[in-house]
Amino acid sequence: MLIAVVLLTLLALVFGVVLGFAAEKFKVEGNPIVDQIEALLPQTQCGQCGYPGCRPYAEAIANGEKINRCPPGGSATMEKLADLMGVEPEPLTATAETQVRKVAFIREEECIGCTKCIQACPVDAIVGAGKLMHTVLASACTGCDLCVEPCPVDCIEMLPVKQDLRTWDWQLNAIPVKTL
Amino acid sequence: MSLTASTEHTVLWPLTGGIHPPEMKLLSNTTPIQRLLPANEYFLPLPQVGETAVLAIKQGQRVLKGQPLTRGISAMYLAVHAPTSGTIAAIEPRPSNHPSALPVLTCVLQSDGLDEAVSFTAASEPLSHEQILQRIRDAGIAGMGGAMFPSHIKLNPASKIKRLIINGVECEPYITADDRLMREYASDILNGVALMQQLLQPETTTIAIEDNKPEAAQAMRQALAASTLPQCSIQVIPTKYPSGGEKQLIQILTGQEVPSGAIPAHLGIVVQNVGTAFAIQQAVYQGVPLLERVITVTGSNIEKPGNYWVSVGTPIRHILEQTGFKATPDSKVIVGGPMMGYTLSTVDVPVLKGSNCLLLPQAQELADAPQERSCIRCGECAQVCPVSLLPQQLYWHAKAAEYDKAENFHLQDCIECGCCSYVCPSDIPLVQYYRVAKAAIRKTREEKLHAEHAKMRFEARSLRMEQEKLEREAKAREAAEKRKSAMSGNEKDAVAAALARVKAKQAAQGAVEESPAPTTADSKATIAAAVSGIKAQNQETSGSNVTNQEDKKAAIAAAIARAKAKKIAATPTLTETLTASAPAQAADKKAKVAAAIASAKAKRTQAADTPNTEAQLSAPNATDKQAMIAAAVAKAKARKAAVENTSAEVDNAAVTVEASSAPTTLTESTTDAAQKARIAAAVAKAKAKKASSATATEAPEKTTAASTIAAAAKQHTEGNMPETVNTDGDTHASVSLSDDKKARVVAAVAKAKQKARERAREQENN
Repeated sequence: MLIAVVLLTLLALVFGVVLGFAAEKFKVEGNPIVDQIEALLPQTQCGQCGYPGCRPYAEAIANGEKINRCPPGGSATMEKLADLMGVEPEPLTATAETQVRKVAFIREEECIGCTKCIQACPVDAIVGAGKLMHTVLASACTGCDLCVEPCPVDCIEMLPVKQDLRTWDWQLNAIPVKTL
Repeated sequence: MSLTASTEHTVLWPLTGGIHPPEMKLLSNTTPIQRLLPANEYFLPLPQVGETAVLAIKQGQRVLKGQPLTRGISAMYLAVHAPTSGTIAAIEPRPSNHPSALPVLTCVLQSDGLDEAVSFTAASEPLSHEQILQRIRDAGIAGMGGAMFPSHIKLNPASKIKRLIINGVECEPYITADDRLMREYASDILNGVALMQQLLQPETTTIAIEDNKPEAAQAMRQALAASTLPQCSIQVIPTKYPSGGEKQLIQILTGQEVPSGAIPAHLGIVVQNVGTAFAIQQAVYQGVPLLERVITVTGSNIEKPGNYWVSVGTPIRHILEQTGFKATPDSKVIVGGPMMGYTLSTVDVPVLKGSNCLLLPQAQELADAPQERSCIRCGECAQVCPVSLLPQQLYWHAKAAEYDKAENFHLQDCIECGCCSYVCPSDIPLVQYYRVAKAAIRKTREEKLHAEHAKMRFEARSLRMEQEKLEREAKAREAAEKRKSAMSGNEKDAVAAALARVKAKQAAQGAVEESPAPTTADSKATIAAAVSGIKAQNQETSGSNVTNQEDKKAAIAAAIARAKAKKIAATPTLTETLTASAPAQAADKKAKVAAAIASAKAKRTQAADTPNTEAQLSAPNATDKQAMIAAAVAKAKARKAAVENTSAEVDNAAVTVEASSAPTTLTESTTDAAQKARIAAAVAKAKAKKASSATATEAPEKTTAASTIAAAAKQHTEGNMPETVNTDGDTHASVSLSDDKKARVVAAVAKAKQKARERAREQENN
């Protein structure tokens, strides 16, 4: 009886020490699920979800926010999030129209060089200087729409990205067929 | 060619999978390569190879055959050459020679029929490696087998090449372009091979030809026997589709498989097409760029099937017209062979460097794929796959859009040869599924890359904003501290100034009790007024003495006194000021100057409708030039004086008060006094100016007054001035700096009156 008590107490102490040490040594910084969620998000930093960037939204999802708030990610992202979080997929809050990848375009003859769009761009994809024409780096633009609102002369528009030979997706039925 | 070399490579390895479709080569390989009539228009897509290029021509410009239309610097870049002479009719998006027919930027060259060429420089002496590569690059040579990979990159590998393989297999049914080329231009091809050998220095060279082309193999053998190519052999391989694929051919000849994601050069092998060898020979030895290629036009829907020399950029419509294409609503135009080719949606597209065949089958010859049925899991596709994939699994995953799973089954290694589709009993267009899946995977990968990029940029921006914020805050803090320290310093000054002012006030009151206390809010103005009041009284008491003693001094003193008086008048409390009796008949110039000053002052006092002063002065009529100069100098001084801080002024005022209590004693240092006098004069001038602007009628008079004042000031500076004058000047300065507008107006009015009086007197005198 006494041996058993002593033994169990010893075991409890040993394991307690081991676990305590492990908890300190292998402590995980932050919530790892946030990183996983963030990896799924499209990183447009557009704020359409209501959060100031993709990371804050990822944190919100980890804390129970709905997974259907990301229009740039589309339903594919939503489904992946549903998988990851183990929740039911929900219809997106956005329409299909907003899910087409777009890129900002500055009509350069109208630009007055106010730099307001440069300040609004979350990914520094607009180059230009005060009183000089601005232009969008199409390769860096995430199509977040944030530069459109601040423009005082409304010279920014969002153009859908066109397919070219390299990005063509082999949708053969989309080809217009001409008779010879 | 040694016997050992030939036996060494007779060992062949079997190709995994593969099929034996009907060859249909006899349709086109019986006639020699012919030429078509030149086209009127050529379409030259820009750029054809390589991502970026700069247009070297303008719309409407005339170009010659062989002239490059683009410039570029990227490693992949290849120039686009004009296939004939003519003018650039348009540079605009036109349908591309691509299954999608998506429009691409195209140069439309309108031929002028002259076919005038730029002078091609043939190589005269043996060329170095770099020269050869440069020539190949300048000629715009891309892989002629269909992949259109720039040859100069392939021929300049980073690793050691052990084996060079010349691909004359041409495994696709129907196509005979390489077959005819080998038959007719065997020695030229071998010359090209010799150049490749020179560049790559391979241990062995193999020319692979399928056994369904015995004539071509024979021609090549003969040419090889006649040539001096070292370690080169002809290898006839069994006919099987797709043994002409680069990796498949390597497997057949060496038994090695090119690993997934690797290139043949990793195994020390380079594979080049026979057509490329021919083009390289032309480019290096004759300097002719890749302007035309052999294209097989075949199929039972055409009158004259065969092989043709066709310029790159020739519209396919033109070729079809020339070869007697029988267009029917359901007829198809296929670019490439029946296995890997694609159907064109429009024939207004150009021939590209890699286009080796135009297939025009009749409906019964190459029927449309029947309706797709369910997969029965027969496994035929896996049997024929040359890359040993599991097409069935790929199909399931591609169909279900589970692209990541399809990737796990190595979808990326699929060469899209079409064997699986060919054998499928359910007529499933498997390759089509794989292409869609590959495109989707590529898109996802690019999106992921883009997202990572965006995230990086966003984080960099956030970091930068944070830093900028911190910097701004630091700067603001620094500025605030600076302001704080500056403010405490100012406060001290202000206290000192206040003390000085109090002292001055006390001194003034102590010295002259009878002077009325000024009630103006402005303390400085008050002090000045008080001081001037004192002066005036002093002047009054000792005025006669002064005039008797020295006319000059008296006059000046009187003038200054008047100025003081004016100031007092400006203040609401009316002080009784002196009546300075200046000697009217004084011929002395200085006296006149003094009078002028006085008149200016008087004018001001009168402007306030309170004519306190009665200055009897004779205004000087003559203006002295020197005086004017002096005035300018005085003005500059005044400006300097204005910079002086208020405390100094107050001090000055205090000094003045003391001095005025003892007007006859010379106590102050003369140099200091002289400077002050100057300032006083300048101030007087400024006042005069203001007065003149107030009353326009007196404009001529004013200038005179000003100049005379300045003259007086100049004399002050000469140093022989009595202390009273100097001290008066001090007061002046302080007063002027705390100038009151009302006083000016008053003065102006007074002066006007004064002037009128003077004139009357002068008339009397005269």
